[in-house]
Order: sequence, then C-alpha cells, then structure tokens
Amino acid sequence: MKRITVNNPHLLYPISIFGGLAVWEIIARSLPRTLLAPPTAVGLRLWEMIGDGSIPVALASSLQHMLAGYLLAVLVAVPLGIALGRSPSLSVALDPVLNAIYAIPSVAFIPFLIVWFGLYFEGRVALVFLMCFFEILMNVQQGVRDIDRGLLDAGHSLQARGLTFFWLVLLPASLPFIFTGLRVGIGRAVNAMITAELFFAAVNLGKLMKVSGNAFDTASLFAVIFVVSVLGLIGQETVGWLDRRLLTWHHRDIA
Amino acid sequence: MSEKRKWTLRMVGIGSFLALWEVMGRLMGDALFAPISSMVAVYPSLIEENNMLVELAKSLQHLIYGYALGCVVGITMGIAMGRSKIFEGLLQPWVSMLFATSIASLVPLFMILFGFGLAFRVAIVFMSAVWYVLLNTFHGAKGINPELIQTGRAFDARPAQIFFLILLPGLYPYILVGMRNGLAHSIRAMVIAEMYVIVGFGSVVFNTGLEVSTAPLLGALVTIMFVGIAGLESLRWIGRKTAPWYEAEKGHP
Repeated sequence: MKRITVNNPHLLYPISIFGGLAVWEIIARSLPRTLLAPPTAVGLRLWEMIGDGSIPVALASSLQHMLAGYLLAVLVAVPLGIALGRSPSLSVALDPVLNAIYAIPSVAFIPFLIVWFGLYFEGRVALVFLMCFFEILMNVQQGVRDIDRGLLDAGHSLQARGLTFFWLVLLPASLPFIFTGLRVGIGRAVNAMITAELFFAAVNLGKLMKVSGNAFDTASLFAVIFVVSVLGLIGQETVGWLDRRLLTWHHRDIA
Repeated sequence: MSEKRKWTLRMVGIGSFLALWEVMGRLMGDALFAPISSMVAVYPSLIEENNMLVELAKSLQHLIYGYALGCVVGITMGIAMGRSKIFEGLLQPWVSMLFATSIASLVPLFMILFGFGLAFRVAIVFMSAVWYVLLNTFHGAKGINPELIQTGRAFDARPAQIFFLILLPGLYPYILVGMRNGLAHSIRAMVIAEMYVIVGFGSVVFNTGLEVSTAPLLGALVTIMFVGIAGLESLRWIGRKTAPWYEAEKGHP
C-alpha cells in the first residue's frame, strides 16, 4: 500500500489551489467591491462571459492576428536562425546588431508600427511578428550552433551534400531546437496579442479589458486575464505535445 | 576564428547596419523612418525639450525599487521551494499560473489596484521580475549536490554555515542568471506600464511617437537600448568579479 506523506504533490496541489482561493476570497470581501473582486465573483463572471458569447467571439478574432504574426515570424526566423547557427562569420557579424535591437522593448516600436501599418489588423500582426521573431531566432540560432559535430561529420563522410545534407542531416538535427523556439515563441505571441489589443485601437479581448477597467469591473478583468493566461499555457502545451509526437527519436534518445 | 577576425567582422556588421539605416532613412524620409544623421541632430533637443534624461532617471528609480523587491522575494521563495517539498507543493501551482500571465494584461487591473503612481510601476516591475528570479533560484536550490551538504554536516557545520558557505555559493550562478532575465523583463514591463498611462520614460516614447518626424522617437529607442545593454552587462560583470566559478553558468530559460 502506498503511504501518503505530507509532501505528496497530489495532496499539496489541491490544498494550494483551494487555500489560495480562500485567502483571496477573504481579502477581497474585506475590501471595497470595486477594488478587488473575490474568486467566486470572477468564476461567475467568466461563466457569464463565455455563456453570452463575448469571450468566445473576442477570442476567435484575437487568435487571427496572433496566428498570422506568429506564422510569419516562424517562416522568417527559422531559416535565418539555421543560417546564423551554421555560419560562424555571419553570426559574429550580425550578433551585435541583433542583440542591440532585441534590447529595445518591443512596445516602444508601437509608434513606428502605427505609422507603417496603421491602428488595425496589420499593425497588430506586425507587433506579434516583432515580439516572436527575435525569441524564435535566438533559440534556433543557439541550438543549431550546439548541434553535435559528430552527427554533421558522419553526414559529410557519407557524402551527403547540398540539399541531401540539409534534408537528411541538418534539418532533423535542428528540429528539437526549432521546437524549443516555437514553444517560447507561442508564449510571446499570446503576450503580443493582448499587448497589441491594448495599445493599438482597442478591439476584442483588449477592448473587453479597457471597458471593464473603466467601469472598475475587476471581476471581468480577472476573467479576461485568466483566459489569456490559459491560452498561453494551452499554446505552449500544444507545441510541446507536437514536439513529443513528431520527434519521437529525439525524446527516446534523451529519455 | 581569431580575435582580430572577430572584431573585423563585428565592425563590418555594425558599420553596414548603420550605413543601411542612413540610406533607408534618406529614401523613406523623416516622417516614415529617419536616417541616423537626423536622429543625432535632434538628440540634444530630446534632452532639453522633452526632459528625456530627467524622466528616464525617475523611471529607473521606480524600476530599481520593483526589481530589488522582486529579487529579494524571488530568491527567498525560490530557496524555500527548492529545499522544502512542502513549500514546493504549496506554491508551485500559483507560481506556474502567474509566470504564464502576460504583464500587459495585468496593466488595466493594476491601475485600479494601485493607481497611476509609484506603487503601480513598482508592482508591474515586481511582477515581471520575480518569477524569473524565483524559478532560477528554485532550480538551482533543487539541484544542489546532496553530497556537498552531507560533507558539511559530517564536518559539524551549523545550519547557518551550511546555508551561507555551501548553499548560497552553489546557488549564486543560478540567481545571477535569474536576475539577468528578470532585469530584461523589468525594462520591458516598465515601458509597457509607462506607455499605457503616459508617464516617465514611456511618456517620452509616446509623445515623440506623435511628432511628424520619427527622428526623436528613434533617439528614445536608442537610449533605452543602451540602458538595457548597460544594465545587463554590469550584472554580467558583477557576476564575473564576485564569483569566478560563475563562468559555468546554467539556468532556466
């Protein structure tokens, strides 16, 4: 028989979640209602907003610019990351410039993006692209640089050249790092999605937040924050799941 | 690759970027994308008329409050979670959830909770830094080689000695990586919060963004870039100076 100990996570996690919610509930009830909504009110509000369609409709259109920007970033950043990872001269030459641009907070580019792409869909896509691009690029570049040399040498000694080398040796060896980049990138994409909706013309989930914020409706604010966080977690889990399903050979090796 | 060749390549990279910026800027015009020469020309007025350095100093002061608080709380909670299964179990679900929460989505809520002033900015910066410091410290504390601690016990070390002489030096590289990630995210979060409520350095970015010419906006961007690089490099320098074993750095991404 398995003995249940005090430090069993199966026991501690529910205690943590319900304990935390209880503390929040008690604090919220002692404060003015407009300041901090209790979790029961947040749960109720979330249920209502899903039921009346406001969250599902907003989420569906939020996902459009998120996915568009993310896919564009993947298409540009992955090949560039592989190239930079493979060519030491190229990466030494470009690293200072890339690191410098990366050090600028992406939101600070928003006035530019508004001038170039406007306040609507294109502007939001551009921000998502910008925020994902560097994250994916840095991860892919770092990973490709660290590919096991033996693997590449084996490919060369078996006369793999050009495209054959790329498809059969380089790409499979890079895939685990590409997936790391994709997973970190999707988290950034969700951040960028909500940032864009708050800083460009307010639409979708961002509009829900602005309207609830102006009305001091913290229950609705928490409901939207919760939806955005869960979306981020689902995105990362999905990429992680794809990674484990597609790259079975890699996970078998490191297991 | 020799050091000399590396430096040549870096100079070529930076030089061609600056040249490209100038050429693109002249082709596109100040309204769309100002060349570097226009930016340099307006930079003094950015300091005099937009009070950029004064606003930046105020913002950085608030950033340091929030960041320092985040480091203290993150390190304490990280060690507690790494060394005690009970703390780990009790805090893990909330830490994972809050780590996944986008800072931008918290801004409207924090405005209601904390107003527009000092507390608001400190809270936003705190929330952006604390989880990176915490998770890195946690992974470091969890991975400390138990043999080191057993050796300490065998030599009759007191718990305080084990903590300060074995645990902290082992954790130090992890804490520094966490503090570096935390600082990078703090700067981003500060700009997000300040651009939303239009105060401090964020107001400089916002206001220069409204001008016809993009030259002052580029000046603000270049300034925050140098601030970020200087902050991260000084943390790296402190790491190398205070802990030579730091070179074997590891960390939670």
